[in-house]
Amino acid sequence: MSERALAFGLAAALRHWWLPLVWLGLLLLASLGMAELEAGFRWLEPDSREVIYRRTDFLTLLGRHLLVVGVASLLAGLAGVGAAVLVTRPFGRDFLPLVAQLASMGQTFPPVAVLALAVPVLGFGTLPIIVALVLYGLLPIVRNSLAGLQGIDPAVQEAARGMGMSKGQVLRQVELPLAAPVILAGVRTSVTINIATAALGATVGASNLGDPIISGIVNGNTAYIVQGALPIGLLALTADSAFERLLRHLR
Amino acid sequence: MIELFDVTKRFGSETAVDGISLRVERGEFCALVGTSGCGKSTTLRMINRLIEHSAGEIHLDGQPVRNFDEQTLRRRIGYVIQSTGLFPHWTVARNIGLVPRLLKWPRARIQARVEELMTLLGLPMESFADKYPHQLSGGQAQRVGVARALAADPEILLMDEPFGALDPITRDALQEELRDLQSRLHKTIVFVTHDMDEALRLADRLVVMDAGRIVQQGVPLDLVREPADAFVASLLGGDDRGFKEAALTRVGARMLPLSPRLIARARVHREASLRQALAVMFREHADRLTVVDDEDMPVGELSLRRLVGARPHE
Amino acid sequence: MRREVLRPNRVLPLLMLVALAAWLGLEAVSVAPNRIVPGSGFRAHEVVGWTGALAGCLPLLAVAALAWRPTTGRLRLVLALAVLLLMAMPAWLGLAVTRLVDPAQPQARLGLGGAFWVLLFLLLLALIELRARLRLPRLAGWGLLVPVLLAWWLALASWLEPLALLQEYRGRSDQFAAAVGYHLGLVGAAVGASLVIGVALALLMRRHAGLQKAGFGVLNFLQTIPSLALFGLLLAPLAWLAANVGWLAALGVRGIGWAPAFLALVGYSLLPMVRNTFVALEGVDPAVIESARGMGMSPRQVFLQVRLPLALPVMLEGLRITTVQAIGLTAVAALIGAGGLGGFIFQGLGQAAMDLVLLGALPILVMALVADALLGALTERLHPGGTR
Repeated sequence: MSERALAFGLAAALRHWWLPLVWLGLLLLASLGMAELEAGFRWLEPDSREVIYRRTDFLTLLGRHLLVVGVASLLAGLAGVGAAVLVTRPFGRDFLPLVAQLASMGQTFPPVAVLALAVPVLGFGTLPIIVALVLYGLLPIVRNSLAGLQGIDPAVQEAARGMGMSKGQVLRQVELPLAAPVILAGVRTSVTINIATAALGATVGASNLGDPIISGIVNGNTAYIVQGALPIGLLALTADSAFERLLRHLR
Repeated sequence: MIELFDVTKRFGSETAVDGISLRVERGEFCALVGTSGCGKSTTLRMINRLIEHSAGEIHLDGQPVRNFDEQTLRRRIGYVIQSTGLFPHWTVARNIGLVPRLLKWPRARIQARVEELMTLLGLPMESFADKYPHQLSGGQAQRVGVARALAADPEILLMDEPFGALDPITRDALQEELRDLQSRLHKTIVFVTHDMDEALRLADRLVVMDAGRIVQQGVPLDLVREPADAFVASLLGGDDRGFKEAALTRVGARMLPLSPRLIARARVHREASLRQALAVMFREHADRLTVVDDEDMPVGELSLRRLVGARPHE
Repeated sequence: MRREVLRPNRVLPLLMLVALAAWLGLEAVSVAPNRIVPGSGFRAHEVVGWTGALAGCLPLLAVAALAWRPTTGRLRLVLALAVLLLMAMPAWLGLAVTRLVDPAQPQARLGLGGAFWVLLFLLLLALIELRARLRLPRLAGWGLLVPVLLAWWLALASWLEPLALLQEYRGRSDQFAAAVGYHLGLVGAAVGASLVIGVALALLMRRHAGLQKAGFGVLNFLQTIPSLALFGLLLAPLAWLAANVGWLAALGVRGIGWAPAFLALVGYSLLPMVRNTFVALEGVDPAVIESARGMGMSPRQVFLQVRLPLALPVMLEGLRITTVQAIGLTAVAALIGAGGLGGFIFQGLGQAAMDLVLLGALPILVMALVADALLGALTERLHPGGTR
């Protein structure tokens, strides 16, 4: 009986999550089996001596890419939601206008410019990328968290207080759950931007899926470019469709 | 028992409530009436400390409310507002069980209490327990709001224009239910409204407020008979005030013993109001009614002269 | 008049304390004998001595003190102080030049240090905060920057010769002008094309409901793919087309260069354009449309005189998002040889010449901010009476 229930649950999960799973499957396939496509790439780039990017294993590149994006998004998420919560409490209210302005103005800064400006301050390598991604990824999260927290019906908050909930209870049981879909939409934007910007990180000395593209551009090897672009695109689609599902689940 | 002693609330330089004193007895239904901005909601919200008063004292059963922890105080007091404030992400059952859960009741007891309340308010468990607030009609949502306020069986119930946003028919039905509930539960209720008919219909005692002060307070009939000033008179409907008085008096109080000679064809129940009796006379083109009891047996009669309270030989 | 004393506000004092810490603790400038050798950093007190550095703290402390218990008068004073501080920064740099740079070394250059950037950033934040608190209109807010820019321009033109950024610019002033022009041209062309296509697409979607889902699906898909990947993926088919279709090659279409950049930019721009146009047109209050029809307006009149004007602000918002996004993306396009200001960034990163990176990044930032402000102001004007 429980086996059937398990199978049923799996089927339901599959029905909900098939799209992200398909993208994920394609991503893994592309990362593992890039070399198998040598014939195709040879056709694309008949003149080059080497048509498969071999400096680093694709799975390693993917792992590094995921690590940078994951760490940056996690930190940005914690800091962003935290900041939004702080400035919507009575003691932090002073800072609300400035933080809100900054979050919306900051989003006009192009990510490339932010990345480029981070280098003079922080130097080359993976750390500056993570810092730049955290800083830039904060903005949509802060903006959405503010919108989510401020968009809650005042009557609901008044009722929560009137029923005798403590401030912490109101925050945890009412405000955050109600703002969650909007916050998550902000995280989604942040992650999407981070995946794209992390790829640019290859130009400032971080090794990730952007590497084959930059190397292809430098060496004039179209095959390399496609080999980098394909997994990045698939990674972005996997993450985006997963968030889409998650959001639908929350509503 | 709730007591306010010379309570004042200032917002910056504005005085919203200006030195009011009030005493609501245990089990009493007290309505605060007035135009919007007169300070009646502020007064209500100072009782459960959603707003802190600037001066004076507010006592609950002889204890200053400031002596209680805010949250403990509020969990002891039911609170209902016009826009319900139901949590949109929680089911009806979970919404109703909120305060018991805050008070850490055992699960089974919460479950039983929720069921009891839903039955009490005419919300069948099987069809409503798992619904979300947005799936309810306005009247249903407000029933849930009342059930939520009653969940931990509080001694006191604060209601801020709870039926203000409902259509007239739903409002009538809910007022009727609230009256029924009150006759069984005997809560101490402070009820804010700008609708004088609602206040007259529900309250044991009326408190009329204007510009942050109490203009007049007393039993409804006294206010209708002798409004303190033109403002109270106009709140009570100006020239229509007589109808309000008629609505507050029972037929039984004015009827005379049955005279053997003449039995009027038109009838009215002894518990009906004089206003209803007048309407029957109008409809039946009669100046005399037979008063009947629950079994439809004649118990007395009511003449038009008697109804309007005219003295004999005039 | 009654003196308005507001409650203590901690925003400006906090900003100023951070500024103070940065001023005393971080390097203000760095000096290098030439372009290749990394410079050595100097803190403020190493340039002007402790007396000078501490004197520099006084205006910051004054701002903090005045803003702690703010009245409108005090806030105005603080605003004036902040603007003066921004104007004084290039003068201070001039002082640093005379103290640190040996005039006998024409190659020597002055770099800007962490303290300088932090101070600049915090003072601009203070301006934003003050503008909001004094409720200055948008135009007045920008007007505040005029004296600041004038001071900087004067300083750059007369005594900041050894500033590294300026030296990088001097070396390629022609290239710079061309890059700015090219950048703007590419952005303008892409945004213009996506405006035409986007509005047409949105109108089509309103007419054919079936197109909606598919259309938004494709556009969402496009928007999700990272720019670098999309540029890369466009490279191969365009190279093939250029090799096999003569007239396209004659037009200048190649695998690298403006063609993939333009296509990708249009692709990215379409989603915000179409979405905003569609939502704007659909979002007009049905009661307004119904009453317009009830008054006897023809469908055409309803669209042109009611629906379109009411939808315009939201459509413009789409244009704003599109433009700002395109300015940033064009910088990435430099990687596939599209030129523009991004070229300086990647060139600078390649040579580890940070001032060259700045030469590319700063104008891009300014362009994005200006485009955002201009289109934002336009949108505001189009809201009749500030209503929606």
